[in-house]
Amino acid sequence: MEILNQLWSMISGLINDSGLGSLQWQNYVMMCVSFVLIYLAIKKQYEPLLLLPIAFGMLLVNIFPGIMGMPETILETKQEILSQNLDPATFSTVQVGDQIYYEHIQYGGLFYYLYQGVKLGIYPPLIFLGIGAMTDFGPLIANPKSFILGAAAQIGIFLTFICATALGIFTPQEAGSIAIIGGADGPTAIFVTTKLAPQLLGPIAVAAYSYMALVPIIQPPIMRLLTTKKERSVVMGQLRSVSKLEKILFPIIVVTVVALLLPDAAPLVGMLMLGNLFKESGVVDRINKTAQNELMNIVTIFLGVTVGATATGTNFLTIQTGGIILLGLFAFSLATASGVLFGKIMYWLTKGKVNPLIGSAGVSAVPMAARISQKVGQEENPGNFLLMHAMGPNVAGVIGSAVAAGVLLSVIPH
Amino acid sequence: MSKEMSDALILLLGGFVVVFAMLILLILIVTVYGRVVSSVQKSVAEKKAKEQAAIQSEEKTVGTVADVSASAEEISEIGDGEISGEIIAVIAAAVDAVYGEKPHRVKSVRRSNHRSAWGRAGIVENTRPF
Repeated sequence: MEILNQLWSMISGLINDSGLGSLQWQNYVMMCVSFVLIYLAIKKQYEPLLLLPIAFGMLLVNIFPGIMGMPETILETKQEILSQNLDPATFSTVQVGDQIYYEHIQYGGLFYYLYQGVKLGIYPPLIFLGIGAMTDFGPLIANPKSFILGAAAQIGIFLTFICATALGIFTPQEAGSIAIIGGADGPTAIFVTTKLAPQLLGPIAVAAYSYMALVPIIQPPIMRLLTTKKERSVVMGQLRSVSKLEKILFPIIVVTVVALLLPDAAPLVGMLMLGNLFKESGVVDRINKTAQNELMNIVTIFLGVTVGATATGTNFLTIQTGGIILLGLFAFSLATASGVLFGKIMYWLTKGKVNPLIGSAGVSAVPMAARISQKVGQEENPGNFLLMHAMGPNVAGVIGSAVAAGVLLSVIPH
Repeated sequence: MSKEMSDALILLLGGFVVVFAMLILLILIVTVYGRVVSSVQKSVAEKKAKEQAAIQSEEKTVGTVADVSASAEEISEIGDGEISGEIIAVIAAAVDAVYGEKPHRVKSVRRSNHRSAWGRAGIVENTRPF
C-alpha cells in the first residue's frame, strides 16, 4: 500500500510539473493559432522564412512558458538550501535585519537570452544590413522621383496613429507602434515597438508579417478601385542605366543626409546603407555574401522564434490584439491607397507617363509589392513590364518607413 | 479637443512634413549627383576615346601590348565593373594569340554564370592541372 501511495504521489507530481497541470486555456488557444500559422507558412508559403520560426516560437512558449523566463535571484535560508541537498558554502550571502539569506540564482530560459537581441534593438538593424546587401537601388537612382511614392505610402502610418489615439484604448506609444505596421516593414515595426511599447511586440509583429504575407490579396482590389483602365495600361519609358560610381555614392549620401537630420533613423538606415555599400563597392565580396546569407539567416531564426515567443496566451488574447489586427489592416490599406493616389497625381503631372500602379509599391514589402504592381499592370496589358519601375518606389518605401520610424521615435516620449 | 488628440494631430502634420522634406531632399541630391557623375564620366570617356583614336592612328600594327591595354580600359568602363582590368588584358592577349595577324578587336567582356555542359567541359579540359 505504501508503495502504491509513493507511486501515485510521484505520478501526480509529474503531472503537476508538466504543462498539463500548469497551462491555462489561453495557452491552448495560442497553440492552435500557432498550428494555423505553421500550416499557412508550409502549405500556403506565406512569408515562410519568418512565419515558420514565429509560429514555432509561439508554440514552444505556450507549451513551456519557462523558456522565456527571466533570470532571478531567490533569497533562501540555510535550512531551505540544505533541504535541496545543496552546499551553502557555494552561495553568496546577504544579511537582511538579523537574518542571513543565501542568494540562489535561477538562470533564465533559452529564449530569454536570445530575446535580448530584439529587446535591445540589435536584430532589426542586422536584418536591414542583409536587406541592404541584397537591394539594388539602381531603379531609384535612375528615377529619383520614386522617392515621393515611397514617402506617400507612409501617410498610412500617421493617419493610423491619429485613429488609434482617437479610439482611446491605446497610449501614444502603443498607437505609434501599431501605426508603423502601415510601413509594411517587419524589422522596422519590431524596432519601433521594442522602444515604444514592448508589451505589444507579439501582436504587432504577427500582424505586420501577416499583412506582408497577404500583400497579393490586400493590394490588388485597392489598386483597381482607385485607378482607371487607361491609367493601369500606361507603358512607362525605359529607365536610364546607372553607373557603378552612382551606385557606390548613393548609400554614402543617403546615410549622411538621413542620419544627420534624423539621428533616430540612423541604426536602421545606417545598416541598410552599409549592406548596400558592401554590395556595390565590389571589394568585400565575402562580407557581402555573409551579410545577405549566413548572418541574415541566423538573425532571422533568432528574431522569428523570440518574437513568436512573446505571444503568450495571456499577452496575446486580449481586446487590444483585436484592435491591433484591425488597425494594422487599416494602416496597410491606407498606405497602399495613398501610394496609388500619389501615383495618380504623378500620372496627371507627367501627362500620362507614369503608371499609378507603381505607387502601391511604396509600402516596403520588398519585392512582393513591386511584383503586385507588375501583375496588376499585366492584367490590362500583357506586354507591359512595370517591375523595374515599381522597384524604385519599393526600395524608397524601405527608406521612407525607416525615416517615419525615426520621426515616431523622436517625437513620442519613451 | 483633448491634449492627446492635439498632440497626435501635431505628429501627423509634423510626420508628413519631415518624411516628405527628407525624401524630397534626397530626390534633389540624387538628381544633382546623378547628372554630375554622368557628365563627368561622359567627358572622361570622350577624352579616353580621343586618346585611343590618336594612339590607333599612330600605331597601325595590330595586336600590340598598347592596343590590349587601351581596349582593357575601354571595356572596363563599358562592363559591369566586376571584371578587373588585368583579367580583361589577359582575355585580350589570349584573343590576340588566337587571331594573330588578322585585324581584330575585343569589344566587350562579360561574365557568364550559366555555361552549357559543353562550355563547362571545355573549361575543365583547359584548366585541368598538369
